[in-house]
Amino acid sequence: MLASLPPSEWTPDAAAHLLNRAAFGGSPDEIHALYAKGHRAAVQNLLQGGEEEDLFPAPEFGPMTSLGKMREKSMRPEDRAALKKEANREARKHLDEARMWWIHRMASTPFPAREKCVLFWHGHWATSIQKVKDPFLLLQQNQTLRTNAFGSFDRFTKEMSKDPAMIRYLDLNNSSAGKPNENFAREIMELFTLGEGHYSEQDVKEVARAFTGYRINPKTGAFVFSSKKHDSGTKNIFGKTGAFNGDQTIDLIVAKPQCAEFLTAKIWNFYAGENPSHAWNQVLASEYRASNLNMGDFLERIFLSREFYSSKYRRRQIKGPIQWLVQTCKVLERPMPNPKMVNATLQQLGQVLFAPPNVKGWDGGRAWISSATLLLRYNLAGALVRGGSSTPDIEKILPRGTPPDKACELLSARFFQAPMSPALRTKTMDFLKANGESPAVRRDLVHLLLSTPEFQLT
Amino acid sequence: MKQTLHTRRHFLRTSLLGGAVSWTVPAFLERTFFALDAMAADSLIQTATGKDAPILVVLQMAGGNDGLNTLVPFTDDAYFRARPSLAISANKTLKLSDHFGLHYKLAGLKSLHDEGHLAIVQGVGYPNPNRSHFRSTEIWHTASDSAVTEKYGWMGRYFDSCCSGEDPSVGVGIGNQTPQAFAAPEPRGITFARPEQFRFDLKNATDRDVSDEFFRSMNDFESEQMDGASIGMLPGHADGKGDTLDFLQRTSLDAVVSSDKVAEIIKRTQPGVSYPPNRLADSLNLVARLIGGGMPTRVYYVAQGGYDTHSSQAGSHEKLMQELDTSLAAFCADLKAQGNFNRVLLMTFSEFGRRVAENASGGTDHGAAAPLFVIGGKVKPGLHGEAPSLSQLHNGDLIHRVDFRSVYATILSKWLNAPVEPVLKRAFPLMSFV
Repeated sequence: MLASLPPSEWTPDAAAHLLNRAAFGGSPDEIHALYAKGHRAAVQNLLQGGEEEDLFPAPEFGPMTSLGKMREKSMRPEDRAALKKEANREARKHLDEARMWWIHRMASTPFPAREKCVLFWHGHWATSIQKVKDPFLLLQQNQTLRTNAFGSFDRFTKEMSKDPAMIRYLDLNNSSAGKPNENFAREIMELFTLGEGHYSEQDVKEVARAFTGYRINPKTGAFVFSSKKHDSGTKNIFGKTGAFNGDQTIDLIVAKPQCAEFLTAKIWNFYAGENPSHAWNQVLASEYRASNLNMGDFLERIFLSREFYSSKYRRRQIKGPIQWLVQTCKVLERPMPNPKMVNATLQQLGQVLFAPPNVKGWDGGRAWISSATLLLRYNLAGALVRGGSSTPDIEKILPRGTPPDKACELLSARFFQAPMSPALRTKTMDFLKANGESPAVRRDLVHLLLSTPEFQLT
Repeated sequence: MKQTLHTRRHFLRTSLLGGAVSWTVPAFLERTFFALDAMAADSLIQTATGKDAPILVVLQMAGGNDGLNTLVPFTDDAYFRARPSLAISANKTLKLSDHFGLHYKLAGLKSLHDEGHLAIVQGVGYPNPNRSHFRSTEIWHTASDSAVTEKYGWMGRYFDSCCSGEDPSVGVGIGNQTPQAFAAPEPRGITFARPEQFRFDLKNATDRDVSDEFFRSMNDFESEQMDGASIGMLPGHADGKGDTLDFLQRTSLDAVVSSDKVAEIIKRTQPGVSYPPNRLADSLNLVARLIGGGMPTRVYYVAQGGYDTHSSQAGSHEKLMQELDTSLAAFCADLKAQGNFNRVLLMTFSEFGRRVAENASGGTDHGAAAPLFVIGGKVKPGLHGEAPSLSQLHNGDLIHRVDFRSVYATILSKWLNAPVEPVLKRAFPLMSFV
């Protein structure tokens, strides 16, 4: 059992920490509402959500049938080229729709903790449009991630091994008895379940045989199993012998003690913002096992624990680009900017949805920050503050006539959820005293506060 | 403890020490100032970034380039047996010797070879090769043994030991993510992809000067407002090294300082030659402008992705080879036109080569040893090292003949005039490609 947070330590700042990490943060009003529920109810409320079934209808488009057609040998080259052009145009349009649909959902759902968790799993089961090509398959995968986000890891892994986008991304659709492709077999163990060093090269070869015959129905984009292409022979995996199929192989993998440890280290890093020490990870792994590798249950244990709220984790995590964008819009109480700006922002800051850089997902942490991305964040913050058609309500953020010291309190509670540093406080007061308080000046000040190293942390 | 402190910014702009004030500074800055003081005493350092200093450009071919189809052993039957559909026939290759030819799309590299400006190191790898992209990339970036996980990069250690206290732009990564090779306890090096965006934009501000002053004081710590307590807003902040906010402040400082310089160079220079329309070419074009404009950078890092050719390799690899070739040809032409070709050495690498035998999907799986290119006005051209045997394999993979750290050691020692052991932690046999 993890030690739980004493009630006296449940403060508005603790509530802000929970909302920042479990979801995408919120306005001062939202933080206060969460705080007012009390700790346990706040955690349960976050993890149970209450999103109506059809609040976010998925964009409606089907699988790209043109990809299959293009492979037909009888097609004339000029027709093929025209088809390809049309297919690319359509794919880009669908992909943009899917991206906007998801980011809009993250920013406005009453159940943001689930979306944050889906984002975690998207980075975990990293699959990219670059190779998958068909946006329908990624949208379908996104729904699978959502269905399983708070569920059991065992079942999740089996579903992901049969996920058509994954099948295409890691070449399972080319893997057949006698000619197994090792790509998926290696990555499922190295990156999805065990981590390096807990399987042999021989295991990779044998596991590859177990996953032969996984195919995609080109018309529906659904999983199909081809027993003709499947290697039903005897395999030797982790020293155990049997005619294992894919699901049975996953049972063997998930039963290894390293699986829980691998996952908890990753989950802790994502939510607490640091790699756990070996000893702490052992504790986490036993909690995770006690939850039967159920994510919702495990997250509840973490969010109720005292450790999660320790000062060593607070305001220490570098916001990822998605977190930065969604949270910045939330604290400015402004809507998501237009699709073009969202795409450009995420592309340049390095976190494009449905396009992780590789199968390891995003490195996260300090890897988000370079001299380039930091200056970009500062400039993009300016665009969000002054923002075109949907300018934030500066009167709400900093009402006219607020005395400078009170202004510092309002601004720090909203943007940092912690007191301002003395330097920043002095600077802010001087700025207001020297420049007056026209809306434009107050906007400039907000932009400058967002253009600081401190604002990159949550 | 009393000492003279200087803002890093001031130092970087003037390369002089002056304007002394005494106040408390965040731990990481304090260390920087110590380094600057120590460094100022050592005038030798100043020459390191002189106008004529040698420059290294590292080009990563990410994903695992198929070495056998890059430098083709066209007389080896084992090659044709292993690759019934992917082998490139002898008459298609661009022949460099009686046994080896370049991929047919590498015409620009063939010309560089014939002019005496291309060296190829064959069979490069390391003992106990790792077939994970990420782990193997990390091994190449950190120059560690296969079994050792090393946090810091080989370029980071080079900057640390040879360029201490220098301008942050001693290393420039083109892209948005800092290469792990630059990682160091006190990292130096900046990263950006588009120079026009590498600048804090105040054009919408009501009063640009006032806003600029606010911004700089919060991001480059020039102002006396900056005091040690400024990071006290973080509960529990104590440790200097490794603290996340320290890291952000340092990055911010480096960004603000070097963006001024980059902007100045971009304003003053024009693109030299025309480059093909692809990202690698864009990166190399930018590197050429920065070199031409006189950046004090010693090491540039660029990358080309897409080499993980598990399926339908023939077409995709051909496209990659063409992009690589045309981009490099334009880059070399540009440097020659600038008169900087003799100052620059470019090396390529990929985290691993690919399996000798093709797979059932018309592709190749992760392998081990592969050749790499070294290009420059002063290389010793031709084939170096020894080609791995295609009949004696380890688990279907080529066995390396040259440790990649021998390549690094050679470049450090013979090109950058730097001591090898502080960077690579031990000696490696030097080669003769430069």
